[in-house]
Amino acid sequence: MIDIILYILIIFLALTAFFMVFTKDMLSSIIALPIFGSILVVIFVILQAPSAALAEAVITAGLTTGFFVITINKTEMQND
Amino acid sequence: MIRINEMFKKLYKISLVVLLAIFLLYVFNEIHDLASKSYLSEHYISKGVQETGAINLVTSVLYDYRSFDTLGEATVILTASAILAFLVPLRKVAMHGTKFLIIVHQTMIFIVPYLAVLGSYLILFGHLNPGGGFVGGVVLALIPIVMTITYCIEFSEYKFKPNIKTLLEDLGSICFIILGLFGIVTGSNFLASGQSNLGLGNPGELISGGLILCLNIIIGIKVGAGMAKIFNSLIKGE
Repeated sequence: MIDIILYILIIFLALTAFFMVFTKDMLSSIIALPIFGSILVVIFVILQAPSAALAEAVITAGLTTGFFVITINKTEMQND
Repeated sequence: MIRINEMFKKLYKISLVVLLAIFLLYVFNEIHDLASKSYLSEHYISKGVQETGAINLVTSVLYDYRSFDTLGEATVILTASAILAFLVPLRKVAMHGTKFLIIVHQTMIFIVPYLAVLGSYLILFGHLNPGGGFVGGVVLALIPIVMTITYCIEFSEYKFKPNIKTLLEDLGSICFIILGLFGIVTGSNFLASGQSNLGLGNPGELISGGLILCLNIIIGIKVGAGMAKIFNSLIKGE
């Protein structure tokens, strides 16, 4: 049972990664990044690496998203 | 002829990617075979708890066996935040942001104490549970970041003064080296906690593991202050 869940999660991981790279809209690409991170956290927990899962959750879903949102905010300010 | 040339260019790029993938697959297969013959991981797993006093083996490797590498990582963050604070001008420009609804402001009241408790727990229980100083410090640094995004930078810097953040980060770096010299005083090498003559305590209790608990607290405070300072420096601009 857990193998089937793992394979489904890995397929979704690849789908989110492709969406993140090939989408035209910058903002939806940024919002896809925490989804990618959350799926990766579940995969890490299934593979019994809780320490890496904690670091992934905090840094990807929290810190990197904040930095990217600020970057988008700054660059849109220059276009106006 | 031109069409064939373009097709050849596309195929060239795709075949480069496929070749890299095959090469990486081969290399990782070989590395996986090598890792099963290594004896060092067997030593860490079988004798790590008695030698360092920490149940969490990741923390025992990070802060006892290989704590000199942790000093290097701490130096990287210190250098990055110092250079950013030096380069970015101090003129403040308000973020052109959106006005949030009352739901966001009401959620802030609930989420800030939660982040504070979670960060402190991850730092203090770093040698017993998954977590540690780095992750706990980043969780603590999320509090000023969330305040900056939700309200404004003036409110965040009124709550957490920049001078105090700079002081905490510098104190963290200095205390790390002083605790490392403490290992020499007790009769062993630099940054040694398990090999020196300190009392390790019972494995599994909160106050145990020698220097590991102190190093966790110091790294947590230092990383939290450094990350908050980097974010607030990046948000200011021309």
